[in-house]
Amino acid sequence: MYQLTGVTKLYQKSRRTVPAVIGLDLVIGDGEWLAVQGRTGHGKSTLLNLLGGLDRPTEGSIELDGTGLGTLRETRLTRLRAEKIGFIFQTFNLIPTLSAAENVEAALIPLGAGQAERRARVAVALDAVALADRAAHLPTELSGGQQQRVAIARALVKDPQVVLANEPTGNLDEDTRDDIIALLETLWRERGLTLVLVTHDTAIARRAQRTGVMTNGHLTIRQDSANR
Amino acid sequence: MFFYTYLRRELRRRMRQAIFITLGLALGVGLVVTVAAASAGANRAQSGVLSALYGVGTNVTVTGPPVMIGRFGQVKMGGLTGIQVNATGVDFCHNGKCEKASAGQSVQSVGPPYSAFSSADVTAVARLHDVSAAAGGLLLSVNAQSIPTTSGSGPSGFFFSVDGVDTGHLALSPLSAGTIISGHLFTAADAGADVAVVDSGYAASHHLTVGSAITIGNAPGVTSVRFTVIGIVRQPTAASTPDDVYIPLARAQALQTAPGPAETGEVDMIYATAASAADIPAVQHEIAALLPHDTVTTQASLAGEVTGSVKSAASLASDLGRWLAVLVLIAAFAVACLLTVAAVTRRAREFGMLKALGWRTRRIVAQVLGESLAMGIAGAAVGVGLGFAGAAIIATIAPTLHATVPGFIAPTLSGASSKAAMPRGGLNGELDPATASHTVAVPLHPPVTAGVIVLAVVLAVAGGLLAGGFGSWRIARLRPASALALVA
Repeated sequence: MYQLTGVTKLYQKSRRTVPAVIGLDLVIGDGEWLAVQGRTGHGKSTLLNLLGGLDRPTEGSIELDGTGLGTLRETRLTRLRAEKIGFIFQTFNLIPTLSAAENVEAALIPLGAGQAERRARVAVALDAVALADRAAHLPTELSGGQQQRVAIARALVKDPQVVLANEPTGNLDEDTRDDIIALLETLWRERGLTLVLVTHDTAIARRAQRTGVMTNGHLTIRQDSANR
Repeated sequence: MFFYTYLRRELRRRMRQAIFITLGLALGVGLVVTVAAASAGANRAQSGVLSALYGVGTNVTVTGPPVMIGRFGQVKMGGLTGIQVNATGVDFCHNGKCEKASAGQSVQSVGPPYSAFSSADVTAVARLHDVSAAAGGLLLSVNAQSIPTTSGSGPSGFFFSVDGVDTGHLALSPLSAGTIISGHLFTAADAGADVAVVDSGYAASHHLTVGSAITIGNAPGVTSVRFTVIGIVRQPTAASTPDDVYIPLARAQALQTAPGPAETGEVDMIYATAASAADIPAVQHEIAALLPHDTVTTQASLAGEVTGSVKSAASLASDLGRWLAVLVLIAAFAVACLLTVAAVTRRAREFGMLKALGWRTRRIVAQVLGESLAMGIAGAAVGVGLGFAGAAIIATIAPTLHATVPGFIAPTLSGASSKAAMPRGGLNGELDPATASHTVAVPLHPPVTAGVIVLAVVLAVAGGLLAGGFGSWRIARLRPASALALVA
């Protein structure tokens, strides 16, 4: 699925150059669940952004199924994200003026699906996260866990190949966190997704097939996990 | 549908800001509509004054140098030049020849105020490239005097004007500005008939009605003509001094004040109309080249002679009003742009998420432009309403405007001359004090035309799109990763 070779990402902050990712080599297989741990500011989110094509590496290459993300034109990169990559964020990032169903539907707009098809797929996606009865609710009318379920539904409604989750349980209580992770795990297994999940939580990381640790921009892979 | 749902929800979320932007645009647009209506109303009032001077359908008038009554040998169309009262009675003197007048007799001296043009001149003007039609007119001044029955007393009398109009080109004559209130106007068949249309004021003062008779040219050695009144016309109140009697041109040309053949085919006014308003300056130039010793007058040149509050109002609306509207519009546009950019900045995280979902930049831009356009359209609707209200307020509370039209203007080769200004005077050529400048009340009716409404809508929509454009520029520069990293 993914092939990263010598990937480096540098940021310019005033006159300083800040290295976020340094010389990273990584291969992520199809259907693999990779968890990435690490302290704040060590490059976890940057790695996820690079994998999702939301940012471009300063050096090195990132290939997704043989396609170089770093050199792709912006319109093609956008199209690739629309079709193949789903995102889940710590702060949910739902559009506050749209209902749960409409937030999920927003992921299908770039694909040019007709209204009837969109509604059908949205219904299936919300049903998969057990939120069919909350379809008309606005994000402000949902709990944190429900909002994250909507975000999961939004990420999965397009049947992506890859789901990139950045601290999906960071804003949730312990019970809800467990529910969300269990849901993600179930969906990962059922759909054969490639899942890259960034987390602080070691307990969550251990549920992945592989765990990596970002330290000062360098990634170290740990081989032990519960799903190997 | 998703597009409209998202647009509607977003505008509802920032309702106060949307209303603020809409009202700002509406205020600017409303001011533009009001100023345009006031300006159009003032200009229309001014045009009404001017068109009443020589008719609605005429763009250009041509007059020759004035005929100085008293210059023997230069009066081509005749005219008595003086009445002398002496010990032997009363003498009529005309072109150096005098005849005795009987006591108690009523006599008239008829003469044109301006030098004559031939019919060939009229034809030549009509054939000019940018002239769509031309017609001649013959303006005559009539001095009607009653000879005293006892010697030692001077004659008494009054003046009246006779306007010979081309019955085949009434649209180019002074009658075109009037309203027939009794009887009817001339028809083409009346070209050779002894019929007259009389001004309502003159008819009232001389107790004339349809069917009454008017005698013109009553003098020794002169064949007088009896005209039957077929209509009474009311000229616009803005007309400085409407002519008293209108008769067919050919009959005016046939009037004579001395024995001999009638001077047919000559006129002392040429009325022309241009093919379009844009051609008027060219027509004026062409006629001036064709008739270099004569005065060519347009509404624009006459406008310079009209003074009064109507002119001030037109100038105020045009200059100050226009700049005020422009300033308010600029301020409204600036506020709309700033608020839109601020809103886009606040929604950076949201737009970053949409980009992460695979939304193309132009799709997001279309969403923001749609929101701005909706506010622009709402601003246009409210602005047009405000404009109508502003125009109505002006029509209600504006003081009555006044226009002062000169009663006599000495014609020059380059200056303006008014058809209504003729050297009326005594038989010895004195000026009639009754032809002093004339002030008329002019109502102000600010019209809100379809063109102004369209302009207002275009301006408001442009304002909305401009604001959306600034927001779109901000979106285009947005990097998804940076946007998503922003703290909500």
